Amino acid sequence: MNHNSNTLFVILISVILSAVSSSCIREDVSGNTPQANFESLWRIIDEQYCFLDYKNDVYGLDWDEVYSRYSKRITSDMSDYNLFEVLSEMVNELRDGHVNLSSGYGTSQYREWFDAYPRNFSDSIQSNYLGKDYVITSGLTYQILENNIGYVYCSSFSNGIGDGNLDYMLKEMELCDGIIIDVRNNGGGNLTTAQKLASRFTNEKVLVGYMSHKTGPGHSDFSTPAPVYLEPSNGIRWQRKAVVLANRRSYSSTNDFVNCMKNMPLVTIMGDTTGGGSGLPFTSEIPNGWSIRFSAAPMYDADMNQIEFGITPDLHIDMSEEDILRGKDTIIETACDFLKKTR
Amino acid sequence: MYRLYISAIMAFLISCASIKAQDSLYHGKYLVRSVMIGIGGANVYDTYLSPLEYRGPELRFMHESMRMTKLLGGHVSTQRIIQTNWSYTDNISKSSKSYSGMLNWTYALHYQYKIDDNLKLLFGPMFDLNAGFIYNARNSNNPAQAKVYGSIDASAMLIYKFRIARYPMTLRYQANLPFMGIMFSPEYGQSYYEMFSLKHGGRNVLFTSFHNAPSLRQMFTLDFPVGKTIFRAGYLCDIQQAKVNNLKSHFYSHNFLIGFVRNFHLLRGKNMISLPSKVTPF
Repeated sequence: MNHNSNTLFVILISVILSAVSSSCIREDVSGNTPQANFESLWRIIDEQYCFLDYKNDVYGLDWDEVYSRYSKRITSDMSDYNLFEVLSEMVNELRDGHVNLSSGYGTSQYREWFDAYPRNFSDSIQSNYLGKDYVITSGLTYQILENNIGYVYCSSFSNGIGDGNLDYMLKEMELCDGIIIDVRNNGGGNLTTAQKLASRFTNEKVLVGYMSHKTGPGHSDFSTPAPVYLEPSNGIRWQRKAVVLANRRSYSSTNDFVNCMKNMPLVTIMGDTTGGGSGLPFTSEIPNGWSIRFSAAPMYDADMNQIEFGITPDLHIDMSEEDILRGKDTIIETACDFLKKTR
Repeated sequence: MYRLYISAIMAFLISCASIKAQDSLYHGKYLVRSVMIGIGGANVYDTYLSPLEYRGPELRFMHESMRMTKLLGGHVSTQRIIQTNWSYTDNISKSSKSYSGMLNWTYALHYQYKIDDNLKLLFGPMFDLNAGFIYNARNSNNPAQAKVYGSIDASAMLIYKFRIARYPMTLRYQANLPFMGIMFSPEYGQSYYEMFSLKHGGRNVLFTSFHNAPSLRQMFTLDFPVGKTIFRAGYLCDIQQAKVNNLKSHFYSHNFLIGFVRNFHLLRGKNMISLPSKVTPF
């Protein structure tokens, strides 16, 4: 190589190396002070939370105003416990059960979505219906009631439900006049488990909703909502009337289950409005190591309505005080009467 | 010099046109293989999982093979490297852990330019494929990130043979700079549930180059014989970065490596302590 070529080579390598080294992609946090943790949490929600615009429309949530209000409460000498309390209050402004700040002191939780409403469920009264010879299988508890109505209680979708278990359960109930699927107090779990149960109640592919996700940090940066279909199960499918019982604690993937079932022609939703929780939650963290769970991807119903604040039942029923004193569940009783009359 | 440029361009074009064609042309009998294991540190960062960088130890295994071809008058060598690295990292407050593993396969065609009897410059294109994962033990619906990407790199190597008190050693520096490629990535807030359970697509396969994936893999090695065995000690600096779909990620690792080299003369089937300078690719 001549001198010019050597020089050119050295310059080229230097430019490439300096370009790479100067374009480092690094974390964008500024320390572990109370202010830095506050800023980090506020920004995670600002950039990744999926309901800021929607909640601004519904109840006037202004996340910039939240910043102004809460930043005044952050001081450099505040204790970790006080910081946790302030940050928990801040994220509760989102009114979202899927938003939880977790630290060594505990986990924050917004509870108004069920605490401000009737409980509409009592496991002691439920036991009057289940008796002593009920069956527990794969997260489901079921019994054939004295009036020949099948009663299935699903307390959670966190654990998988086996196809064989569902086949056997529906086979057991094939002579029943109707079936009740009770998802009251079911706080959710896996969407796929909820959809597996719902797939036993349709004979054809059904449009049950839409889903989108954020494509960038802007409040309005969303993908085009894509349709979500429910495919019928290849196993035994229920062909008669069915009633789904819900209350305010029917949340998250249970909200999705109720949304799916609402699209089935032979299914009626009874009880209270569900708790909602239609945002698929993601997890992140702030510099001091506390984790934050938040809604990241919104789900809509088949008419593109938001279901974050719950799904209205076809028939609204609350448990009456009189029935509670008699050990009766008003909602189960109403469902049984409905199934007997419409079979 | 002019011939050098023409040769480099031709080597690149031939490699792009048909890798299979080259292999069928090749009749080389000599190859250099090395195996190394390394330990070091990793710095793992992916804003799909966390806004924080995770740091911790890393283990690496590397297998390298080089041989000469008959391309361009016998001035082109091939280099295959397969390496895997595994790291166990945690965040700065030690409240969360992540596990990551990567598999990297590269195939390079290097034009060998002899600067003098002891110093060689090798340069040419490299095909660079990567697959792996980062798993964050604490996250809910975003527990893991799949890392799948490939690129065409510009690869260069300097090989310097020298002696200290008649003791022969070989020093090598190599740098691979991804030039253009493609990368898989979820969109900013897209879950794997949407991608694989609901089959909802998006901008999940993206073009990469210096502007959004400025990466560089560098390696120093020193070969030194002990008896009939050639040992190889090395240092590897692996900088993999990307900023796609508004998601930022990097994978920095620094490894110290140790292993051994074997020179093969395929017809004789014997391990040789050294190969003639006219036929060795190294």
